[in-house]
Amino acid sequence: MKAEKKWIMSAFMSLMMVAIVGCGSNNNAGSENAAVEKIKFATDASYAPMEFMDTDKIKGFDIDFIKVVMEEAGIDYDVTNTGWDTMLTSVKQGTEYQAGLSSVSITDERKETYDYSIPYFESTNMILVKEDSDIQNALDLKDKIVAIQGATTADDLMSGIMGVDNGNLRRFDSNAVALMELDAGGADAVVADIAIVREYVKNNPDKKFKTITDMENFGSEYYGILYPKGSEWKAKLDPAIKAVLENGKYAEIYKTWFGEEPNLENVLNAK
Amino acid sequence: MDFRFDIVIQYLPVLLKGTLLTIGISIVSILIGSILGLGIGFGKMAPKWYFRWPFHSYINFFRGTPLYVQILIVHFGLIPPFYGKTNALMTAFVALSLNSAAYSAEIFRAGIQSIDRGQKEAAISLGMSSTQAMRFIILPQAIKRMVPAFGNEFIVLVKDSSLLALVAAPEIMYWSNTMKGQYARIWEPYLTAALIYFILTYSLSKLLNYVERRM
Repeated sequence: MKAEKKWIMSAFMSLMMVAIVGCGSNNNAGSENAAVEKIKFATDASYAPMEFMDTDKIKGFDIDFIKVVMEEAGIDYDVTNTGWDTMLTSVKQGTEYQAGLSSVSITDERKETYDYSIPYFESTNMILVKEDSDIQNALDLKDKIVAIQGATTADDLMSGIMGVDNGNLRRFDSNAVALMELDAGGADAVVADIAIVREYVKNNPDKKFKTITDMENFGSEYYGILYPKGSEWKAKLDPAIKAVLENGKYAEIYKTWFGEEPNLENVLNAK
Repeated sequence: MDFRFDIVIQYLPVLLKGTLLTIGISIVSILIGSILGLGIGFGKMAPKWYFRWPFHSYINFFRGTPLYVQILIVHFGLIPPFYGKTNALMTAFVALSLNSAAYSAEIFRAGIQSIDRGQKEAAISLGMSSTQAMRFIILPQAIKRMVPAFGNEFIVLVKDSSLLALVAAPEIMYWSNTMKGQYARIWEPYLTAALIYFILTYSLSKLLNYVERRM
């Protein structure tokens, strides 16, 4: 009886092993085939107005932008809301999702792990403070309590100004919580992407906030599409992005979302 | 899989600071939680339903809603009216203590009710008062039975404290999120955090085994 049980167990175990190994190789083969006809983008749709969920649909500037790019390239695609962390890991592997589209700023540190498309969007970080605040620029934030969303370029910039382990630099899970923290009096300022801050101010007209741009200390940054290292998609999509930037379709989308003309020259000349 | 030890080493000092905070928050919260829990547990065993009811509701609320939500409610709803503004450390102590009190209350109640009724009757027939019977006869036996459950609650609390990263309390998870942010890498921060939590909870369970054996 006992010996029989053992035999069944080992048979079961080897079956499991075969299944696991089998799944692994199947996945690889599947993704190679899929890569030929379709590209799957992962996104973190919690970044209005760039990408956000409108109930169960993903909307936003990036989503409209990728639509015209893929029309230009003539390639089938879809965009899935995976959240930020899953996007980063799965794009790095490149098997399930071949690219990340989520207002990802191009930074040297990230380039160690990923490839980027050509820049497609110019952004900067902006400071949001209460109306009676005496903060004038980014350097005034040095000894203040600053709320930011962790893992963003605002995090990099403020870590540079205040020190990465400064207790007054508070990293929150999302910009929404960081903005609540400012509102509740737990922070003196929030630093976030200009589009996010403007959207928040627009949606909260009765709250007494003031915005500060500081191009000297924050400067321009550019969003790119995120690819795994050595991805073939970069070469396929970069010409389409360039065409969309130059043929006026990009400016059209930009105007509908932000109500102004984009500075195309900066985007096209950015590295 | 490439694993970059250099960024783990870069973050080690702050991760250790975060570990100390995690330990501090957990110890204080389990202490406050068990003191509150003792009161709430007795409250829930009160003979009259209208005395029982508030304690009953307290336990139901804190066991029945996610800690994630409780942290946000404490951080943005409970602390500002008292303190004037938000404070992540206060949120950490208050939210975890209140949460742990609900679980501790049930541990106390279960421990006390697990002691046979006959014990109390015998104590009273020996001439002890009800309070004396509780203090000298029932509680000492009950506490021995509560130790494993408290150990479990402590271990759960250590791991649950990771949710405090949500409101930027600089504990272990907070710093590994920071590491993740700087390098856009997943395995280094999360595996490091998992290892630290594992070391904490494993040594804790060893310690508890020792205490259990000695009792």
